Amino acid sequence: MSGGWFEDIEIGSHRVLGSHTFTQDEIIAFAKKYDPQVFHVDPEAAKHSMFGGIIASGWHTAAMWMRLAIESRKTSGGGGLARAGVSPGFEDMRWLKPVRPGMTLTYSTEVIQKVELKSRPEFGLVKSRNEGRDEDGELCFSFIGKGFVPKRPKGETS
Amino acid sequence: MDLQKFEDFPVGRVIDCGTYRVTKDEILEFARQFDPQPHHLDDEAGKKTMLGGLSASGWHVCAIAMRLFAEGVVLNADNKGGAGAREARWMKPVRPNDLLRMEAHVVEAKPSQSKPFGFVTFECRIFNEREQVAMVSMTPIIGRRA
Repeated sequence: MSGGWFEDIEIGSHRVLGSHTFTQDEIIAFAKKYDPQVFHVDPEAAKHSMFGGIIASGWHTAAMWMRLAIESRKTSGGGGLARAGVSPGFEDMRWLKPVRPGMTLTYSTEVIQKVELKSRPEFGLVKSRNEGRDEDGELCFSFIGKGFVPKRPKGETS
Repeated sequence: MDLQKFEDFPVGRVIDCGTYRVTKDEILEFARQFDPQPHHLDDEAGKKTMLGGLSASGWHVCAIAMRLFAEGVVLNADNKGGAGAREARWMKPVRPNDLLRMEAHVVEAKPSQSKPFGFVTFECRIFNEREQVAMVSMTPIIGRRA
């Protein structure tokens, strides 16, 4: 893999990561394990909830962002966050619109900030704004991601 | 048991959300489905990263936090869903067989100006047997007393 070092990442670079259609079965399977609230696990009871039907756990929506980010990394060559691996966390995750069975979210990422790290001089921190939008382009999900990206070792030219 | 209301969550209240044993199989299963990076799938690959060994995906840690938060807080409350998560900090690696324990601290309680509910922000602190490994903030929307 060439490029993809911290130095190569450009603020403003934007990438569509891919799309995923959420099925009712996978929404329920995830929620039974990790988020067993009625509006995530029980289609009948969910009808009487404030959501009027089953919706995906916000954490399921978030985990799917990660999967598509990884898949996209494999095909993106050295660009974007290709070398990113370890993250110290995230900020400002918003679940703006319920994700219902059959909905397709298209996820994207945009580099918004690069931070030098005194504590880890061989890495830089890259912040990204990440989104999931529905078929009408409406924003359903967003957060600010953070990832440690290695700096180009001395002597490497690409 | 009556569901707890917004007023039952004053700033400073701490709720013990119980424990969760993280198995290697579950770490691998979650990673294959959502976060197939080498350090979440393979011991040797993990040793070569700053994590120093196989560790759970941070998203998996968030999902476990949600499970503990559901059992400790929202399933017992007049919960109307979550608007988001202000922050998560993945501080230390979560390893196979770690027994995680979570405390949910109320750090903010903001009533809606116009609606009969309020936003309660919890700082969920997650520990293994040795130290704090993560913090996930959760902000459920909880109904107010009539």
